[in-house]
Amino acid sequence: MKLDRLKLERMNPKAFVGVGSLMLAFSIPLILGINTYLLTVLIILLVFIIYSSAWNLLALSGQGSLGHAAFFGLGGYASAIFANSLGLPPLATIPVGGLFAAIIGVLIGLTCIRMREWFLAMVTFGFAIIAHTITAELSWLTGGWNGIPAKRLIPVTIPNYIVYEYYIMLFVAVAVLVVIYLIMKSRIGLALEAIRENELEAKVMGINVTKYKLMAFAVSAFFTGIAGALEIHHFAYITPEVYAIDISFWPIIYCISGGLFTLEGPILGTVIITILDEGLKHLGLTYGRLILIGLILILVVIFLPKGFVSITRKIKSKLSSGHIPK
Amino acid sequence: MDIGIFIQILVWGLYAGCIYILLAIGLNLIFGVMKVVNFAHGELLMLGAYAVFWIHTYSRIDPYLVLPLAMLLMALLGVCIERLGFRPIMGTGKLNEIFLSLGLIYLFQNLVAFLWSTSSRSIHSPYGDVSVTAGSMKLPLDYLIIIIVTIVFLIGFQLFMKKTTPGRAMRATSQNREAAKLMGINVERMDMLSFALGSALAAAAGSLWLISGQLINPYMGAIPAIKAFAIIIIGGLGSIPGAIIAGLTLGIAENVAPLFMQSLANLFGFSMSFTAWKDTIAFFVLIIVLVLRPTGIFGEKGE
Repeated sequence: MKLDRLKLERMNPKAFVGVGSLMLAFSIPLILGINTYLLTVLIILLVFIIYSSAWNLLALSGQGSLGHAAFFGLGGYASAIFANSLGLPPLATIPVGGLFAAIIGVLIGLTCIRMREWFLAMVTFGFAIIAHTITAELSWLTGGWNGIPAKRLIPVTIPNYIVYEYYIMLFVAVAVLVVIYLIMKSRIGLALEAIRENELEAKVMGINVTKYKLMAFAVSAFFTGIAGALEIHHFAYITPEVYAIDISFWPIIYCISGGLFTLEGPILGTVIITILDEGLKHLGLTYGRLILIGLILILVVIFLPKGFVSITRKIKSKLSSGHIPK
Repeated sequence: MDIGIFIQILVWGLYAGCIYILLAIGLNLIFGVMKVVNFAHGELLMLGAYAVFWIHTYSRIDPYLVLPLAMLLMALLGVCIERLGFRPIMGTGKLNEIFLSLGLIYLFQNLVAFLWSTSSRSIHSPYGDVSVTAGSMKLPLDYLIIIIVTIVFLIGFQLFMKKTTPGRAMRATSQNREAAKLMGINVERMDMLSFALGSALAAAAGSLWLISGQLINPYMGAIPAIKAFAIIIIGGLGSIPGAIIAGLTLGIAENVAPLFMQSLANLFGFSMSFTAWKDTIAFFVLIIVLVLRPTGIFGEKGE
């Protein structure tokens, strides 16, 4: 008993919070029963946690993309088309969607490597619009503006399919977060941060800037494609709306409000903003909620540049400075 | 292809180009002086158009006369955006500017949607039924007025920048901020002035767009702003002649290229429409230019 307490006290508080929230996420369907609305919101929440964490990984290398919806949509379309034409189950085609997005990601990355922040933002934004047009125009393959049906992740005929879907999403999200955590902690993560802080110095220190920037693009596009494929196999339908400008902007809002360049920032931002968004939607504020979210974004950029994550850090440092050691 | 149709499309492109140039010049000025990029510039275009719409609807004054008032209102809004938004984050990183603009885009678009709904609106220009006939083609008078107004604005802007003290001070600030400060120029006032001028030009672009019979809605600003940004990248950051040439080229290319692609497809026996590709063309051009020359066509190396 005493040993256990000691162990708990020694444990990293961050890991403690992580394990706690994972256990909470795991037990939600067990505690609250099968609430289709709630589980749907949570499934989308998990999709966007994957998506914004992937965006954050690219931002870690100093490359702020304004067109990640392109990868989100490409992953979704690739997976849907593969599943439909080859008769494969969605779980088998979702990685194909991710891979397709990653290949395109490397191609886009190749054009972006030499560019400065604004240029890269513009090119990625433009690429989402180009992907939108091309997808809508290739109607023999993509169904044009009407879109195409996609297979459901778990067929509706199976009882409690939504619970299975939830656990699949949770599993993928945790797996993606673990991979991103390992990348951020590794030499690759350090190299990306060095490139963000000062590209020239990083180059002088012997970091292969091109290689690492492309790697960031590929990994980020891969996970974004997976998130897109997961979402459309949940909704069982895909249209070119998946490339909407909003879809590109949401992960940015989540990451900034949560805390850029951290593992927990995108998660925290996605959870807080989604709860706020859903709550205000229920109050009937169609545009009011978006005005508020815009205002929050502006205020966070000006007054809290490290995001919500830094609030807990500030409180912690205040508490520990006031704490009298025994 | 009928040459008359071709010229008509050319004029249409010229007119679209004028709107892009007005936006691009403003963006370029703000970038030059402050070295920040306001992605929410298109929202000022949208608000300017709405200002003209409401003032005209309630007072029935000729919309061309309302234009200066809309420009003044947007100039004031631009000063507020600069003081409250961009000044506090200056020098904290390029990504922050992009994020702040994103917040502004959400704020303004949804504020307008909240106040006046998302439905498209338009006004009837007093000269809407008048058209000029030249040879075999008919051109709406409004298009000609817009082209002339844009030229007047450009000449006025150029004179202001070259001949007046504030204009010269702004150019000095954009060349070297520190040296300008040492010469006794109040650079922060120049920041405000550049935002005011840029916003006024954006409002002019939006108002002219509305007056010429186009539909306006809360989301109209995003695509023109991004195109204006593409123009200043192609034309070179900070280069005003570059922006004019690139703006005209883009306006014309956008309108001629789908037609060209269509006749090319017809030549090979396909019958396809390429009008949906209009917005895409700007970005294809942008990406090709940036791959070949990462600093733009007329841009100088570095900052």
